[in-house]
Amino acid sequence: MLSAKGLIWSATLASIMLSPALRLDRLAAQPVSALTNDQIEIQYSEANASYFRPIYERYKKREVLEQLKQFLSPLVLPAGVTLRITAKECGTVNSWWSGRSAGLFLCYEWPDFAERVAPLDITSAGITREGAVLGAFLQVTFHELGHAMFDIYDIPVLGREEDAADQMAGFILSQFGSGVARRTLPGAAYLWRQLGEAGGPWPRDAFSDEHGHPLQRAYNYLCMAYGAAPDLFQQYIDNGLLPKERVPNCAHEFQQIRAAFVKTMLPHIDPVKLKLVQSREDWLLPEGSEPIPK
Amino acid sequence: MKRVARAFALALTILGAAVQLFPAAAQDLQNSQIDIAYVEPGKAEYRPIYDRLRARQVLEELRMFLAPLRLPNKVLVKIEQCDASDRLYQSGGPVTICYEYVDRLRELAAKIPADSKTQRGVSREDAIVGAFVQVVLQRMSSAVFDNLDIPIWGREQDAADKLAGFLMLQFGKETARRLLNGAAYFFEASDRTWTGSDFSDTRGTEAQRFYNYLCVAYGGDRRTFSDFVESQSMGRGDQRLDLLPEARAVRCPKEYSDLTWAFDSTIMPNVDRNLLGKVAARKWLRPDDGR
Repeated sequence: MLSAKGLIWSATLASIMLSPALRLDRLAAQPVSALTNDQIEIQYSEANASYFRPIYERYKKREVLEQLKQFLSPLVLPAGVTLRITAKECGTVNSWWSGRSAGLFLCYEWPDFAERVAPLDITSAGITREGAVLGAFLQVTFHELGHAMFDIYDIPVLGREEDAADQMAGFILSQFGSGVARRTLPGAAYLWRQLGEAGGPWPRDAFSDEHGHPLQRAYNYLCMAYGAAPDLFQQYIDNGLLPKERVPNCAHEFQQIRAAFVKTMLPHIDPVKLKLVQSREDWLLPEGSEPIPK
Repeated sequence: MKRVARAFALALTILGAAVQLFPAAAQDLQNSQIDIAYVEPGKAEYRPIYDRLRARQVLEELRMFLAPLRLPNKVLVKIEQCDASDRLYQSGGPVTICYEYVDRLRELAAKIPADSKTQRGVSREDAIVGAFVQVVLQRMSSAVFDNLDIPIWGREQDAADKLAGFLMLQFGKETARRLLNGAAYFFEASDRTWTGSDFSDTRGTEAQRFYNYLCVAYGGDRRTFSDFVESQSMGRGDQRLDLLPEARAVRCPKEYSDLTWAFDSTIMPNVDRNLLGKVAARKWLRPDDGR
């Protein structure tokens, strides 16, 4: 049970209770089909390169963007703003928020890259191939979505925006429920750890980028995971993936992220749809599972 | 919305310029929510630092500088011997500046020969003053976030660095240059090789913080700080590691614009505009500071 989830639920329930016209029994009767949002548009752009076609086909078959759209349906977007999400071949290993007009680009190159970096078998630290690939995909998706949210809602970001976007991703991943959080958060950290351990020592100007160093990002994801649910992620502390010097601060760090989310994001979220999203347990089923029935 | 904030910031700047005609008396600038203390060091080697800071009344001046800030809770700011190299702010306070840290920044500044400057134009005095003001404002920023319950996206230590850099820019061009250049020098000079678990620190690497301060300066005032940026015309062999690479520099104006928006929308509602104008009108550095 994630403590953060409890807080969001409390806030949601509080707002529901405050609304006399809305009763919980009515809420429970809401079908999953209520998870729609006309201000979110999705598109699969066909892959040109043959080696990206399997990813393109798999995304479509698994209805990745349809699921993402449903997951994001509680967002109350400003009038006239459409959140466009396009899966495409980008010509670079990346994904990015391209502003309110063009929207969010999720590149086939990123999961392709993640598949090459992911372990073939479960690691001694308990990270599975499926968790690493899925974690890498969701991490970049919600990271870029974080940039989108900061932009669309004019959210003040006092720290470095790239770290803030990682925090948004980590926080969202912790909200899917313990099963998804356990699979994906260490998976996200795994990718950055692999990238960070590949080089070094680094010259000074390697640190001039606005992104954190890959190892910083790996530790930040693990710290968020542990801060969100210490019991669930204790094994990553026990096996030394997160140094003990950082561990005592993680609960406080996660609390900071949660407080920022509640203050700046929650006012833009439809509480009824949020509850529906949180009540579903079939998000992101492992590879081979049937698509979500409509 | 961001345009409104920028207009608001501009109005404040004009307000500040206007009251320069009527400099504030010291008694106008008080903040009863800030308590200060110079704790006598146990080690004799820190005694000269204690005497110097006390005589210069640095904490009294900090309290005056922060007079416009309306804080709901009291904050204690103290200088003391920590028996550690540094002490970060913890929720609830106090703000602690360690004699050990001040000693270290003086040691790094001493690498610059007397009556000389680094290639980027940092004097020994600027290195001391800039690094001292940086650590005081950075720690104080953490306390302000905590005291005002400000939502922080991004790592809190980086947010405190950015706010400290932002505040340094508000002192006027000449002073801002001394402070930001000096602060950047401290991280430049204390640069070390980071490996493995070092990266789990809640703070950025010294190199990241060095670039961040240069970026705040350049982003906030491209004309004044254009010499902080590595020129595109430089050849590979001419690369200067004491400057901001062009690839980062192009992003700094947007970073600064976002920082201004964040400041205006979170901290500014807790600032007394009349007193802010008086703070802006006062000269805070003295010619002998850092000597």
